[in-house]
Amino acid sequence: MSCSPFDLRDYFFGELPEEHRRQADLHMKTCAGCREELEALRSTQAVLLSVPDEEIPQRIGFVSDRVYEPSVVRRWWGALWNSGPRLGFASAAMLSVSILFSATHRPAGSPADIARQVNEAVVKAVAESDARHLQETAKLIDAATQRFDERLAHDSEIMAKYNTLSYRAAAYGGGSQ
Amino acid sequence: MIFRAVEDADLIRKARGGDVEAFNLLISRWDKRVYNYLVRILRNREDALDLSQDVFLKAYQNLRKLDDPERFASWLFRIAHNEAYSLFRKRKPEGEPEREEGSEAAVRTGGASVFPIELSIAVSTALDRLSADQREAVVLKVYQGFKFEEMSEILSCPVSTVKSRLYTALELLKADLSPLKARGAV
Repeated sequence: MSCSPFDLRDYFFGELPEEHRRQADLHMKTCAGCREELEALRSTQAVLLSVPDEEIPQRIGFVSDRVYEPSVVRRWWGALWNSGPRLGFASAAMLSVSILFSATHRPAGSPADIARQVNEAVVKAVAESDARHLQETAKLIDAATQRFDERLAHDSEIMAKYNTLSYRAAAYGGGSQ
Repeated sequence: MIFRAVEDADLIRKARGGDVEAFNLLISRWDKRVYNYLVRILRNREDALDLSQDVFLKAYQNLRKLDDPERFASWLFRIAHNEAYSLFRKRKPEGEPEREEGSEAAVRTGGASVFPIELSIAVSTALDRLSADQREAVVLKVYQGFKFEEMSEILSCPVSTVKSRLYTALELLKADLSPLKARGAV
């Protein structure tokens, strides 16, 4: 029977608090009976441990089954969405990429292209200007022609009246002679 | 660059995110211990291997329920304990595993010297004489090195009950195995 102030078995298994363990250590130095009991526990444990662990006959491992697994996109999105810093980093990265893309892919032609475009614009402007002048000239000619015709008609009418009056005057004058 | 060991908690975090390889690495750290725990309490290698696979599958499925990754060991052995006792109940409704035939003869090895195989049989037989609860307490403490608090979690009973089972078992084992010690087997 143990005379240790603490349970010798707790001491043996290292389950005593530090202070109690130290007291038990001191007790062991002076008590042959407790040392013998402790030795019996050690021997029993040694016999038990003389039968070692077995190797597992077949390693255990799992293979991911894609049917039950969330898709790569879903996992990626989930991971991204659930992480503030990652989302911020991704936004900044996208912005940087767009700036870089617009800087490198802006449509800027060669000098020959630019000269050709200028020539085309000039030719177009000249043609439009000529067309506009021709149109105005035609309008002026039309207006002058119209005014001339009106004047001619007016003159013809006056001439007709004059002839009529001359004829009548001649008729009257010839009768009085 | 700083190197540090990959801890179980790191692997658990990755496995929770669906990383099967991280979980496989975790298994490789624990499968031998779980298998040996099950072999020693079930006393059947095939059952132990089957149950080990079930234990790790359940662990993977329930990994998110593990509140504290530091307590992974006791949580894993709690699953193993439940699986083992579920099998006991299926095999024998009263919950006590059957004892192997011929164990009485096996323990009485006799003779002057003890060969490793005899020692193994003697230990196995002495463990067989214990009740399932006592044997499990010995396996968890002596072979797996769990603390009483952890054993209490695994077995879902108070520390006092754990100690009572273990110390009773040790007294029985001491009596059974003392002839071997006297003959200098260990």
